[in-house]
Amino acid sequence: MKKQIRALIAKPGLDGHDRGALIIAQALRDQGMEVIYTGLRQSPVQIAQAAIQEDVDVVGLSSLSGAHKSLFPKVVQALKDKGAEDIPVIGGGVIPAEDIPYLEDQGVAKIFTSGTPTEEIAKYIEKMVDPESSLVAAPKKIAHIGIAVKQLEAALPFYQDVLGLKLENVEEVTSEQVRVAFLKIGETRLELLEPLSEDSPIHQHIEKRGEGIHHLALEVDDISERLNQYKESGVALIHDTPKTGAHDSQIAFLHPKAGHGVLYELCQHSEKE
Amino acid sequence: MSDQSKYHQQKQQWETDVEKTSKRFPERKDDFVTSSEISIDRLYTPEEASSGTYEDKLGFPGQYPYTRGIQPTMYRSRYWTMRQYAGFGSAEETNKRFRYLLEQGQTGLSVAFDLPTQIGYDSDDPMAEGEVGKVGVAIDSLKDMEQLFDQIPLDKVSTSMTINAPASILLCMYIAVGEKQGVPMEKLTGTIQNDILKEYIARGTYIYPPKPSMRLITNIFGYCQTNVPKFNTISISGYHIREAGSTAVQEVAFTIANGMAYVDAAIESGLEVDQFAPRLAFFFNAHNQFFEEVAKFRAARRIWAKIMKEHYQAENPKSWKLRFHTQTGGSTLTAQQPDNNIVRVTLQALAAVMGGTQSLHTNSRDEALALPTEDSARIALRTQQIIANESGVADTIDPLGGSYYVESLTDKIEEEVNDYLERIEKLGGAVQAVEDGYMQREIHQSAYEAQKRIESGEEIIVGMNEFRIEEEINPDLLRVDEALEAQQIEQTKNIRESRNQQLVDNCLDNLKEAARQEKENLMPYILEAVKAYATVGEIANVLREEFGEYTGM
Repeated sequence: MKKQIRALIAKPGLDGHDRGALIIAQALRDQGMEVIYTGLRQSPVQIAQAAIQEDVDVVGLSSLSGAHKSLFPKVVQALKDKGAEDIPVIGGGVIPAEDIPYLEDQGVAKIFTSGTPTEEIAKYIEKMVDPESSLVAAPKKIAHIGIAVKQLEAALPFYQDVLGLKLENVEEVTSEQVRVAFLKIGETRLELLEPLSEDSPIHQHIEKRGEGIHHLALEVDDISERLNQYKESGVALIHDTPKTGAHDSQIAFLHPKAGHGVLYELCQHSEKE
Repeated sequence: MSDQSKYHQQKQQWETDVEKTSKRFPERKDDFVTSSEISIDRLYTPEEASSGTYEDKLGFPGQYPYTRGIQPTMYRSRYWTMRQYAGFGSAEETNKRFRYLLEQGQTGLSVAFDLPTQIGYDSDDPMAEGEVGKVGVAIDSLKDMEQLFDQIPLDKVSTSMTINAPASILLCMYIAVGEKQGVPMEKLTGTIQNDILKEYIARGTYIYPPKPSMRLITNIFGYCQTNVPKFNTISISGYHIREAGSTAVQEVAFTIANGMAYVDAAIESGLEVDQFAPRLAFFFNAHNQFFEEVAKFRAARRIWAKIMKEHYQAENPKSWKLRFHTQTGGSTLTAQQPDNNIVRVTLQALAAVMGGTQSLHTNSRDEALALPTEDSARIALRTQQIIANESGVADTIDPLGGSYYVESLTDKIEEEVNDYLERIEKLGGAVQAVEDGYMQREIHQSAYEAQKRIESGEEIIVGMNEFRIEEEINPDLLRVDEALEAQQIEQTKNIRESRNQQLVDNCLDNLKEAARQEKENLMPYILEAVKAYATVGEIANVLREEFGEYTGM
């Protein structure tokens, strides 16, 4: 089992605005972390003491009073003075962008500005505390199953009329030189792919193997980071950076030899969907 | 058939027709609700808006229960007071901003103090480190206060001061500055916030435990009713409760519960309700949900009037009137695409005006990032001036009164607030509920749910979770000079060296002695100490020793 992450959320200085700190504390708890909240008006030394005493993995500071430039580095320093510089410090609040480089320079690991989703903060902490952990996040579902066809109009009647599936849309993906049709089925989709030119990989596929199942697409988050991680661990890739696919999604293909003969596509949909 | 049942039948018929249409044109959501989770009907008709008689529920402006406004003429005689909250850095710098705002047509002052001042620490106290002059002006001694109001005649402006735990000290300083200008204290007008309960609940600038804090507040009530009769002795504030994440209903409910606690405390200390109640003022927030906000202000007036008349049996109509200041909602502003905030502020300011506010602060577009620049503060003031002079909304009283929807919402908010008031009473009143953390938990729950709605995309914040652009979030921001802290410490050191120390010591000893006598009013002792140039920190520390410190839940 994974080790439970312990976080200290602290309010340095005199600022009494603790809505943000309380929300972060609860959100991290909901993400399975153990969270200790210091309450208001903590001095940097008190915060460092609490961090050591509670044996936390990370300290999160919140300030909305403009005192961050003076107080955040002091917390970093106080941890160092007590030999606990291995506990990373992150921060947020009302912090102008131009102050961020200074704070990072002073040893604050990361500043999250207003509007950051709490889930993003939780993910950042998880990755920081346990860099291995994020490797294992499994793809969420099968985004679609790709089927190579010679001509969409010839194939659609079977899918629409015989199977009774609903056609969602038809679009051209110029990067792959294909025209695609999406048919919804349960929580996933069938994607029919028709080659637009002889350069299209679909054309080559049909030439070699005839019509049929072409690939499986897996729905993922953080496609770029995932590709980096796969690359580092030696997974054979066709694309090592994402490109734009249908519906403005970000896509990349793994090499079929990685999937033991199955061509996998990673697919990250834009938020609008 | 009565009109009521006729409307009822016709509406049901109409709803049946709508159901058919909505199969082809589905509605955007299954449930429409306000920020307080009040469910919103598809349409409002006389049926929903007509419980009770016109006289009981609405009445006329200037008449009980004041739903439509507290003055008979409202903005047809005089617009609301345009009062922009300002203060940063040194007294000298803030004085310049004040005079700039007055030149631009602002009609009242509103002082923001820095956090050390608000928590009773001098600038040279180790606790003040990094905070001096950051969120407001640093005031240590009377000297700073003299500079703050230099060339501003105190008989001509009314001044609101956001000061709570040390309110008595700052009010005494204001009185002393007036005296130096030759303005007697009975002529001074303005407001001190002086609302400690919401500090425990939501804002955090408390010093002492609740009991002695309530004593300081009633001391101010008692002193001012004879000596400073035109000053509003408290501004019972829902603003910060809302900023901490409450709903509109919770904002009104907790504020009124706190208000009742102050009235109880004052009566218990021996004051007559009709002598202090006319000087109680309120302070609310204005958020984006326009109709709910308008209804909230109207409901708050009606609830307070009923409580004062029926529960406390006040006889002076002035005791029944809920007068309030409004500030637009700081927490609704986004750091992303900050110019969009001008539009948000306009909507919120309009709601405050339609709700009948007595004074208004409009936030500046850059306040999600820093204190406002002079340009941003001017646009914020201009927003009010445009609403007043160009939109025509101030030409008739309570223009939304009679709207089926607004009246129905007003009723609904009143009902839900009364439910909360009952619950708080059962818990033993507001002071007890605060000490138990009841209100804090309720607010946090609402805040967390709102955050989840935003993160799931259920609630759209333009520019933040939708309609985003690539942008450098880095407009010109106001920066408080980092050298200020050292200068302020130096000035306070000089004051300590040049004043009559023997006199200061005597004043502080007398205050200490008086603090031990529970029946003694501390105001005259604080005034003497202030005049001798005892500092905010020194006076607050004497009381810390006597009263102890509040350390949170």
